[in-house]
Amino acid sequence: MKGLASVISMEFRKILAYRSDFWVTFIGQTLIQLIVARSLWQSIFESNQVESMQGFDLNMITLYYLLVPIGTRILAGQNIGFLSREIYDGTFTRYLIYPVNVFVYKSTTYLTHSLFYCFQLFFIYLIYQIIFGGMTFHPEQLFLGVLIFFVASICYMFLCMMVELIALWADNVWTLMVMLKFFVTFFGGGIIPMDFFPLWSQKILALTPFPYLISLPVKTMMGLMPLNESITGIGVLIVWSCIFLGMLQLLWSKGQKSYTGVGI
Amino acid sequence: MRYLTLYKYFLRFSFTKAMEFRLDFFFRIVMDIIYYAVNILFFHVIYLHTPMLAGWTQDQMIIFIAGYLLCDALNMTIFSNNVWWLPQFINRGDLDYYLIRPVSPLFFLSLREFAANSFVNLFVAIGFFIYALTQYQTPFEWYQLTFYLLMLFNGVLLQFCIQLLFVLPTFWIQSQRGLLDFFYAISFAGERPDRIYKGIVRILFTYVVPLSLIASYPARLFMDPFDSWTLIQFIGITIVFWGIVLTIWKKGLRSYSSASS
Repeated sequence: MKGLASVISMEFRKILAYRSDFWVTFIGQTLIQLIVARSLWQSIFESNQVESMQGFDLNMITLYYLLVPIGTRILAGQNIGFLSREIYDGTFTRYLIYPVNVFVYKSTTYLTHSLFYCFQLFFIYLIYQIIFGGMTFHPEQLFLGVLIFFVASICYMFLCMMVELIALWADNVWTLMVMLKFFVTFFGGGIIPMDFFPLWSQKILALTPFPYLISLPVKTMMGLMPLNESITGIGVLIVWSCIFLGMLQLLWSKGQKSYTGVGI
Repeated sequence: MRYLTLYKYFLRFSFTKAMEFRLDFFFRIVMDIIYYAVNILFFHVIYLHTPMLAGWTQDQMIIFIAGYLLCDALNMTIFSNNVWWLPQFINRGDLDYYLIRPVSPLFFLSLREFAANSFVNLFVAIGFFIYALTQYQTPFEWYQLTFYLLMLFNGVLLQFCIQLLFVLPTFWIQSQRGLLDFFYAISFAGERPDRIYKGIVRILFTYVVPLSLIASYPARLFMDPFDSWTLIQFIGITIVFWGIVLTIWKKGLRSYSSASS
């Protein structure tokens, strides 16, 4: 336990090592996404001469696009290549001598990043309050939303680990991870709220983990989800996490026999 | 002529390298196709809820999407990989190897890696562009299409210049990525029609960081009555940006200490 606390502390220091990079990227990405999304939806509302669509007015859609980028960061945790890069260059071998299981270590570092980005959510709320104001603050929604995001990041982490482990057979899996990101972002409601998708596609997507990864926590934070649906969503995420964990174990048991530790 | 011969070697080397990692080559093609699909689906979903967006109908929007996907494919094929590595070369001091060669270092560093997989996707983008033209309801003249293609190519060069302007600060800031991540975040603005932006945001994306000039304005030039003055302005802006890039590049080289950080 003490060892894991050291890992968490070390990861926090790493995140903050390049502070200017970090803040420029964070503020830049968030602001740009906000400006583009608000401009786009303002144009759509004006074209249709309406004040709300699918239950979203302009301020709500703005908040949605403020929460999505940071939510995606919470999900993505340590970002692409956190396992595959080390398998590829052979440094994965060092985990054999670490006094902790490689997956426990990697999960801790991944979730430390997720946790850090959870704190950034408060900045997002702050930015929103400063720019647009008037939003009613509901701490219970915020707490539940963050909790769902954290559970979602565990689920997504297992999914990512599965894809990253393919590096035991293939040279480079960076592209697979990018594809996964595209799928999760689009089908999870990260590019456009899922309420705008055709009903038939919403029904199909409900059978996949995607809507529970982004759309559910964001809408919970915005107060657009009934409490029972949010709780059910957490249950669904836990079920998907168990499925992915089982598949991950299967993949690892086969894959470790292929690992040569030679590197590039 | 010497540079053309050199570029021929770049192409040969890039294709050989790509063929060594065939699975990755295949994955990269699929990845780009998914990126195209996501962009097309995004606008498709929006048009389920509105007949017009930024004054464009869906078939007009498809022309715009096809334009920027074509720009993206060209940029990814010719420049993107090279710009990706440039800040790391500056930061690690690897630029030395390029400065001592008897060719322009900017030419070498900008064009040395040709993305073979993106070249395959360029054909996909061309295919979608042709599809978009067949779906376009309004009759058009060939000269309009020629100018549209010319403007898109100008857009690719402008995009390259803007991208470099986000990378070149690496000479002065201690960062392995320059402001490249910020560029990727901001370039997203160019993937939307310019008419959605108003006020200061419109000025920002038209004059300061002219991302709207990459694909959106060229699409307008194709669909609206032809205006030669706008065409000249587009090319002029690209030349100005290239001049700024060269100036900063030269200043950057003077500040370059070679030592890695």
